[in-house]
Amino acid sequence: MNFAQQALNGLILGHAFALIAIGWTVLLGTARLVNFAHGQMYMIGAFVAWFVMSSWGLPYLLAVPAAMLAGVIIGWIMQATLLRLTIKQDLVSIMIVTLGFGHMLEGAAGLSFGSTGQILDTPLSLKDIYIGDLWITWQDVAIVIVTIAVFIALKLVLEKSRLGRLVRMVAEDPKLALLAGVDVRRVYLGVFAFEGAAVALAAAVVAPRTPILTSMGFQEVIITFVVVVLGGIGSVTGSYLAGLGLGFFTAFFGAYVSQAYATAAMFGVLIVVLALRPGGLAARAGGR
Amino acid sequence: MRIVLWPAVALAILAGPWLLGGGGAVFSAFVLIAIFATMAYGLDVIVSDLGEVSLAHPVFFACGAYATAISTTRLGFGPVESFLLTVLTALAVAAVIGLVTLRLREFVFSLVTYAVTVVAMTVAANWAFLGGSDGISGIPLFSLAGWQARTDRELWPVAWALLMGAIYLVDAFRRSGLGQRAMTVHLNPELATMSGIDPLRTRLQVFLVSAPITAAAGWLYAYQRAYISADVLETYFLILMLTAVVLVGRRMLLAPLIGTALILMQEKFLSFGGYVDSIVLGGVLILVLSFLPGGLAGLARSGLKMARRGG
Repeated sequence: MNFAQQALNGLILGHAFALIAIGWTVLLGTARLVNFAHGQMYMIGAFVAWFVMSSWGLPYLLAVPAAMLAGVIIGWIMQATLLRLTIKQDLVSIMIVTLGFGHMLEGAAGLSFGSTGQILDTPLSLKDIYIGDLWITWQDVAIVIVTIAVFIALKLVLEKSRLGRLVRMVAEDPKLALLAGVDVRRVYLGVFAFEGAAVALAAAVVAPRTPILTSMGFQEVIITFVVVVLGGIGSVTGSYLAGLGLGFFTAFFGAYVSQAYATAAMFGVLIVVLALRPGGLAARAGGR
Repeated sequence: MRIVLWPAVALAILAGPWLLGGGGAVFSAFVLIAIFATMAYGLDVIVSDLGEVSLAHPVFFACGAYATAISTTRLGFGPVESFLLTVLTALAVAAVIGLVTLRLREFVFSLVTYAVTVVAMTVAANWAFLGGSDGISGIPLFSLAGWQARTDRELWPVAWALLMGAIYLVDAFRRSGLGQRAMTVHLNPELATMSGIDPLRTRLQVFLVSAPITAAAGWLYAYQRAYISADVLETYFLILMLTAVVLVGRRMLLAPLIGTALILMQEKFLSFGGYVDSIVLGGVLILVLSFLPGGLAGLARSGLKMARRGG
């Protein structure tokens, strides 16, 4: 394993992390909501893509929107259940309810897809690219392109469009937005549906890199936490950079120190960041 | 009234398995309910009194389980020594987690404590000292002063004593100065600071009270299962604890016990298989928090009110 190959791995992994976390970044940054079922929604996205390809024979290009549709439905149902708590901004209860949803999703996935691991092969993941002695697949290229496209589109929508202004207004002051005639409920539902679609897209694009298991959501959510916190909660550009930084860190840590403890090391980074700037983070994130 | 009522309730619980026919499955269910209720009591103190949600409590449960598994299989410790080691380990780990998360509030606190649990699981599954992915087997029978608990029936008095100890501790905590301070910090942080209460110190102290309770449940769980692996850190235990704490109602002394009993009775006697049970447990947690903020007790109270108004 040479240095250049690890740097390349880090670059791809970093884009993957940023893409996985983008739903949470928007959810937390614009709506001040948290979703502990994020990891399980990633898992469902991966399994839906795998299922429609292996059982229904759909092509990969249709499996991606199918997974996203499942994500939208789950996100919508979750937020519909959470609406009362969201309006009250009862973050602690919202958090536990989303944990409950995660547990349900894992049970439902076990029931539908079984407990054995699967491989999500796509036409892109089977095609290799060699540059000298460096090796990547076309799937890796797709991860980088999709991530950059999603981040640019998101930044444009949030900062330049009416929809973006509406979402930011609701995040800033839900009660004032309500008085101004904004349908706050619909904005919350929309943001949650976006979170579902975004994480399912990430799953359909990123999950082909590793075997998929119905229990994988438990760990997946840590990556999201770290990216969102490192990036400065809610910052779109920040979480892209944080994703990249974390990708390089994980690639090199995994190659030169220990693969098994990569998650633990990532968590160490999180703790250091929190120790350095606990006040600012809590004040902004708590929203009060 | 209290002096008569509580011993009567305690004795009724002790006699419970015999009153319910005394079958092996009944004793097993009672032992597990006692262990998991004790586990939930530790979390109850944090959720109900401090008003924060710790998602690191499976780690304390695992501390007890692993401390017991390692000390009994490798050092030949008996139940008393392994219990002391459990408490010390839990206090040390709680002090570290408590100090790191001291200034974090609300969901950032929960987020970091959740991460602690996930990381603990990867460490437990990979570190050879903790048995790695194979776990630790061959934990001896619970034997104290020449007496051995070979079955769940024989282990029941120990589990009962553990549960009673936990309930007594939580009750004593709520009556203590620390308990009062915790409530003040929870309900009115400004008032607490003005009254000279140090919120950070109080938080840390409550954490140190809570952790050994949950860890003590892990101690008995190791004896009951005779085998411990990274499974003790699974989300199931976390969801079980949280649901047990919120299901019946907050700050009611017997609520975690009744909550645990309801959940485990469904899993033991009305089970639909592991996956459906997960859906049921997650669903109960969602429904209670989204639609029954007062828990089942709140529902019963408003039901009574409506009945009175109707009559």
